[in-house]
Amino acid sequence: MNHFKNFTSERSHEHLEISNSKSDTASNILIGLQRLFKIRELPILLYVIGMIGVFSLIIEGFLALQNFEIMSRQISTIGIVSIGMTLIILSGGIDLSVGAILSFAINIGGLGIVHGWPIWVVYPFMLLLGVCLGWINGFLITRLNVHALIITLATMNIYRGIIMIITEGKYITPIPNYYSFLGSGFIPFIILVLILGVFIFITLCTPFGRNLFAIGSNEKSAIYSGLPVQQHKMIVYVISGFLSALAGMILVGKSGFIQPQAGIGYELNAIAAVVIGGTSIFGGSGSVLGTFLGSLLIGLILAGLTMLAVNPYWIGLITGMFIIIAIAVDSLRLFRKYRR
Amino acid sequence: MKDERRQTVLPSTSQRKILYILGAVNVIIMAALAFLSPTFLTYANFTAVLKRMSELAMLAIAETVVFISGGFDLSVGAIMALSGALCGKLYVAGLPFSLVIILSLSSGMIVGALNAFLVVALNLQPFIVTLATMTIVRSIVYSLLKGIVLADFPERFLNLNYVYIFKIPLLFLIVVATAMLVTIMLRKTIIGQRIFAVGADEHTAFISGIYVNRIKYLVYCLSGFMCALGGLLFTIRIRAIMPDAGINAPLEVITAVLIGGTAITGGRGSVLGSLLGVFAMFLLLNGFNLLGLNPFWNVIIVGVILIYVVGQESIVGFIRAWVIR
Repeated sequence: MNHFKNFTSERSHEHLEISNSKSDTASNILIGLQRLFKIRELPILLYVIGMIGVFSLIIEGFLALQNFEIMSRQISTIGIVSIGMTLIILSGGIDLSVGAILSFAINIGGLGIVHGWPIWVVYPFMLLLGVCLGWINGFLITRLNVHALIITLATMNIYRGIIMIITEGKYITPIPNYYSFLGSGFIPFIILVLILGVFIFITLCTPFGRNLFAIGSNEKSAIYSGLPVQQHKMIVYVISGFLSALAGMILVGKSGFIQPQAGIGYELNAIAAVVIGGTSIFGGSGSVLGTFLGSLLIGLILAGLTMLAVNPYWIGLITGMFIIIAIAVDSLRLFRKYRR
Repeated sequence: MKDERRQTVLPSTSQRKILYILGAVNVIIMAALAFLSPTFLTYANFTAVLKRMSELAMLAIAETVVFISGGFDLSVGAIMALSGALCGKLYVAGLPFSLVIILSLSSGMIVGALNAFLVVALNLQPFIVTLATMTIVRSIVYSLLKGIVLADFPERFLNLNYVYIFKIPLLFLIVVATAMLVTIMLRKTIIGQRIFAVGADEHTAFISGIYVNRIKYLVYCLSGFMCALGGLLFTIRIRAIMPDAGINAPLEVITAVLIGGTAITGGRGSVLGSLLGVFAMFLLLNGFNLLGLNPFWNVIIVGVILIYVVGQESIVGFIRAWVIR
């Protein structure tokens, strides 16, 4: 594992150099654009295009607008969660509680719906809940100085327990019609793309984003270079909590009811999307765009296989193999470069 | 995982301290429950708790060994379900039952070997690898069982549930025996020392002439074997196997192991601690059931205990600073 860490830290020297250079915005954006079109996301983009090509040849009506609408809705919730997860993994952490935060936000926020609160109170309330829970995660991780995996494992349990105690396992249904706006047509996908654009800008063109790479590739040296490491880590978890709550709101709009079990397994799916998108699980290298393509790829595969009437039991097998192939390709490329 | 404050092998005193604390926690829980509920201290209730914790305890032992070697295994629950499902399917197919047992135990070792291969040969991160194999194995289990609960097992096999030796359930004795064997392996043999060495610092271990890769193969295969054994215990206890068996097991097991003082960074830990951790979790669950409380309080309390145990030093420091001010 130590060898592997050396690879990743060597690889991410570029980020460190960039984050050291002082900034005027124009050159920042130029550097950002250069980075955007660097080779990293190209393979996965080719996978995605190839997959669309193959499926459109095999399956009749795969290219229909209706089909893309359905697929885009399926992809968008997990995609939004994955973008938050990308920032966390870039900064060297991990968050297993995203699914629990999603569920907490919509279930506890859903109590507002039951009590007849107007929509412009309920939505901000849900987002606020997400932000608070993310803040708790970040607070515990930075103050207790314990690995994020352990803390978020614990908070996941705690959040889920609280949900079950407060809701007593009951569904919230029916939901007023106007809540389905967020989950209808291409709106979830548009939200996803907007968020993607915002976070591509943040990670590539702002000091905050570039500092994340520095923190992820070597936290100690980031501290010694005077970066506000703790603050940045907190912000990352808060962002992830916010995005999880947003994904939850879309989920409510899509499904039309709120269930306590919402979001189970999201954490693992999101991690899968991040890793398939080429982000190093050790932190310090990767991209938001890659994650988007990763979740796109997973969504395409799932939709295609469903339309091909492949036995749904095998879908896990295929996703798992894709995860392994994606990280193996990445690792082999590095391995050839740094063979001992 | 990445941790800048990577701890070296701590002296055994701090390890013992954790065990004492955990033992005390268990005793306190038991005392409180005995005080609150008249049925708690009955023989029937106690053996029920011991039986219920058996398969999870087995998985916890497996996970402990993997953690000590610096690895990570999310596939424990899936392997458990796989061995149970294979056992049922092969028996229905008409194979002799002793062969069935051997095959289902070796299925766990095969998955473990696959994990180790991906971790060692392709130099991948164990967390992601076992995440992937977990999904793969789970989907194999689904397609084996096709969503039904399989209860076709020989009576003699299922009746092991009711075997008691010195009034202790056999299922729990199997766990105790495994725990003792693994502890002896970890503490008294050269292999155990090498596992600790690999977990504490892989590079140093490699330079000191330890075959790191072989140790990893051994650890993951052993973990797979014990998880498969756990699957058989589960089948015996439930008298059936369902596709969702052990779906939450990874998280519960990891929680128990961490509560037991095993370091996630490797090189430090004890099987006894993990067993005490599992025991505490099941005592709490049992207590909430007996007292008629919402069982989900259990989940919350386990989470809080986990945060307290891992962040103990910082929390105590904060409290001290706050009191002094």
